[in-house]
Amino acid sequence: MIDDISILLFGFLAIAGTVMAAFSREKFEKLISVGIIAAGIMPFIIAGGYTDVAIAVSLIAPITTIFILMVCRSDADDYS
Amino acid sequence: MQLFPVKENATVSGQKIYLTNNIKEYQRVWFDMLNGIINIIAAAIVAWIIFVTTDILLGLPKKGGVSGAEAIGRSVEEEGGDLNGGYMIGNIVCSPDASAGTLLAACGVYVYGIYGGLAAVVLVFIGNRICHDKGYAGTTGAIIASFVIWGLSFYGISPEQFIAGMVLAIVTIQGLSHKYSSRLLGKLWRFRS
Amino acid sequence: MIELWICGLVAVYAAIRIAFIKNNLLKLPFLNVIGFAVAGSLVLILKDPLSLAAAAAFFIGTTLESNAIASRIAGGKKE
Repeated sequence: MIDDISILLFGFLAIAGTVMAAFSREKFEKLISVGIIAAGIMPFIIAGGYTDVAIAVSLIAPITTIFILMVCRSDADDYS
Repeated sequence: MQLFPVKENATVSGQKIYLTNNIKEYQRVWFDMLNGIINIIAAAIVAWIIFVTTDILLGLPKKGGVSGAEAIGRSVEEEGGDLNGGYMIGNIVCSPDASAGTLLAACGVYVYGIYGGLAAVVLVFIGNRICHDKGYAGTTGAIIASFVIWGLSFYGISPEQFIAGMVLAIVTIQGLSHKYSSRLLGKLWRFRS
Repeated sequence: MIELWICGLVAVYAAIRIAFIKNNLLKLPFLNVIGFAVAGSLVLILKDPLSLAAAAAFFIGTTLESNAIASRIAGGKKE
C-alpha cells in the first residue's frame, strides 16, 4: 500500500518533471522531462486500483514521444 | 507504516493521539525495519554480480547494438571514461538486457513464486523482440536471476529486498559517475577477452 | 515498506541529477534509473499479476522512448 512518504516522493517527481519542462530551452531536455512526468504519475494510477489503465498509459505515453520526434524532423525538413 | 505507533483506541477528547505510550514499542518497530537493510545490501551485491557477469559474458561491451548506444558510448569516452564501458552503459539504456531481466524476475518471484519468475521471463522475451534486439541478454539474465532469487528466498532474503537491491545496484553502475563506472566495466571486459 | 521508500528516494535523486547535467546524451542513463525505480515500485504497491504486466510494459515503453531519443540526438533516421 502507498503511504504518506511515498506519496510525497512520487508527487515531487511529477512536479520536478513539470518544472524542468517549463523552464528548459532545448527541445531534447523538454522531451526527457515529459518522460519524467509520465514516470511520476504511474504509481498513483496503480494505487487507485486501475492496473489496466496503467498498462494503457505506459504504452501510449512513450509512443506519443516518438510521434513528437517524427513531427519535429518533418518540420525541419520543410524549412531546409 | 505509521511513523508513530498508535495505542489501540487511544483518544483525548474524541481525537486520536499519535504519540506512543511505550518508547520500547517505537524502538522495536524501527529496529524491525532497519534490520532489513543488511539483507537489502546483500541482495544488491548478489544482483550486481548476476547482471554484470551475464552482460560481460554475452559480449555487451564489444560494440553498440544500436546507433543510440554508440552515441552514448562516445559521449562517455569524451567525458574521460572508457569506450567499452560506455558501450555497455549505452546498451543498458537502449535495449532490455540482463539488468532489466533481473529486475522483472525479482518482481515476478515476489508476485507468484517460481511461476511468476517464469512469467516474467516470457514478458522480457516479448520485450526483447519488440525492441529488435539481436541478442538475448535479457532472457538469459531473467532465467538465471529467477532461480537464484527463488533459491535464496528459502534462506532469509525475501524477493522484495531483491527488488530494492537491484535498484541500488543499477544506481552504482549508471547513477553515480559514468566516468569511474565505465572504467571499471572496461577493466572487467579486458579481463574477459 | 522501506523498499518502497528506497525506490522513491532513488527516483528523486536521479531526477535532481538530470537537472544539472549539460550534455543531453548523458541524461539518458539517469532516465533509465528512474524507469528502474518506478517499475520496481509498481509491483511493491500492489501485489497482483496484472501489476507485474504493467511494470514490464512501463519498463519496455521507457526503454523504447530512450532508444528513440538517443538515436535522434545522434542524428539518426526517423523511427
